[in-house]
Amino acid sequence: MPNIAAFVKISLDPNMIRTAGDDKIDTVNMQMSISEYDKNALEEAVKLKEKYGGKVIAFTALTWGPIDKKLKDTEVIQREILARGADELYVITSNLILNSSPLYTSILLAQAVKKVGNFDLYITGESSMDIGSSQISSRVASILGLPVITYVRELEYDPQNNLIRATRDLEDSYVKVEAELPVVISVTGEINQARIPTLLQIRRAFSKPVKILTDKDLNIPEQQLLLHKREDLKVIKINRKNIILEGKSLDEIADKLISKLREEGVLKV
Amino acid sequence: MSTVLIFSNNPQSFTDAIGFLEVLKQKGLNVDKIIGVTSNNSANTEDIKKLGILELYLYDSKSTDDQIAKGLFQLVKKFSPNIILSSSSKTNNSILAYLSGLLSLPMLTEISDLLNATSDTLTLSRSVLAGRAYSIESVKLPAIITITPKKFTPSNLAATNDIKLDNLPLQDTTVKIVEVTPKKREGVKIEDAEIVVGVGRGFKSKEDLKLAFELASLLGGEVGCSRPIAADLRWLPEDRWIGISMKKIRPKLYIAIGISGAPQHMSAVDAKIIVAVNKDKNASIFSYSDYGIVADLYQFLPILINKLKKK
Repeated sequence: MPNIAAFVKISLDPNMIRTAGDDKIDTVNMQMSISEYDKNALEEAVKLKEKYGGKVIAFTALTWGPIDKKLKDTEVIQREILARGADELYVITSNLILNSSPLYTSILLAQAVKKVGNFDLYITGESSMDIGSSQISSRVASILGLPVITYVRELEYDPQNNLIRATRDLEDSYVKVEAELPVVISVTGEINQARIPTLLQIRRAFSKPVKILTDKDLNIPEQQLLLHKREDLKVIKINRKNIILEGKSLDEIADKLISKLREEGVLKV
Repeated sequence: MSTVLIFSNNPQSFTDAIGFLEVLKQKGLNVDKIIGVTSNNSANTEDIKKLGILELYLYDSKSTDDQIAKGLFQLVKKFSPNIILSSSSKTNNSILAYLSGLLSLPMLTEISDLLNATSDTLTLSRSVLAGRAYSIESVKLPAIITITPKKFTPSNLAATNDIKLDNLPLQDTTVKIVEVTPKKREGVKIEDAEIVVGVGRGFKSKEDLKLAFELASLLGGEVGCSRPIAADLRWLPEDRWIGISMKKIRPKLYIAIGISGAPQHMSAVDAKIIVAVNKDKNASIFSYSDYGIVADLYQFLPILINKLKKK
């Protein structure tokens, strides 16, 4: 396969919720990681490269600030994207995309791929694990004037006809489609099992290029009226008893459980 | 406020959207005209008439997302709607996100609440971070909004007598639909069950799930599952999949067995009491549970089942 652009988000990690003060999500200090399904997207791109050749160029839009801090904090994750098989990484930074609005993120991603080169396939995950708008693939496709195939769980490339065959996993059906390249696709978490990079791959990642693209590089005007703003991000508190039932035997624990559930009035029997 | 365009790949979206418009009206925004767009497969014009829709545009159900979005683009140019509405689903979101890219308009998916509305700005709330948090966002109109299904229910329907039917203009595309295979369904409604037994990766084989089914039947409940069991392994049909993007449940009792406790799963469980059985004492499921049992499910379940049988 010719060249692939993979959109890989460095997301706030929902498994590592951190708040500042009472209930505000601390986006500045919360741990970040590669968005779950974007790992599958990158994996699928790298599998195609291993089979058909070409290059995989990864693009990540840094949607949480402050920019300088996050650039530094996410260095290890940037290397991880390369260790997972991308040949190069472009990190897009702009005040316009801070706070993660898909409207602006997609415009900058589209600008970035246009600047870097021509791609035959654009791939990303079905949604990000922090904001989860599920919009990026479709938006980028329409800006680039390409069709989109979302929620792909099986993907094949036919080099003879230069087309892809994909199975979409929708709510009520599986839909098989064929599309000429170039095309934009989003993949589901079921499409593959993303690899864990080996030590060698991690070491190699250090010699691969990471390039930063700013507003200036992408010709984005500095002042712009924001059509979409994130006003607040608040945690939903979990209030559970967190009691671990213990006993000398599982028999005793089972008895304890049944009596607790009766006390709570949630057992019908 | 003038025109609203409701797009729907399925009949549910129209009801959801009309429900949302009622809330908008309560906040002081009125709608003069509603334009509907739907697939010729799901178009029951009698039902749609009851919703007060004046013009309905139909497209062939075999159309691709980019085709439909480009057709919608023509309509938006013609009617200049203030809001483009639908309910959140994979297809609706894919098509409308494509449209929003064509129009350079903001779009918000899976909206669960409307907090404020002025003539040019809406303030809305949606769930983020795998359901662990919610985000309050403001958006300038015109905007595209998809709402959480069944969250907004219309109370009074303004019936229209005349509905004008037309076809959505469609262009050619380079994507070809080859085959559509409907998914298997059992028709279970785990969202209505009072007791749900949830199964996860801790089960080693499909056959072993019978332990969970036996427990559920003794308790008078239903069996639900995590994403890998339905989507990856396909041991159970997807109508048993509990997750923020799938079924959300509100039972009195939820018993999670062999479930690690991913936020995407647990955020879809709104139960009075949550019990977790997991052999890993560090599993995050225990932070979501009222009562935890650190044990091998293969040892614990037979004992629990025997005891319940004797009751």
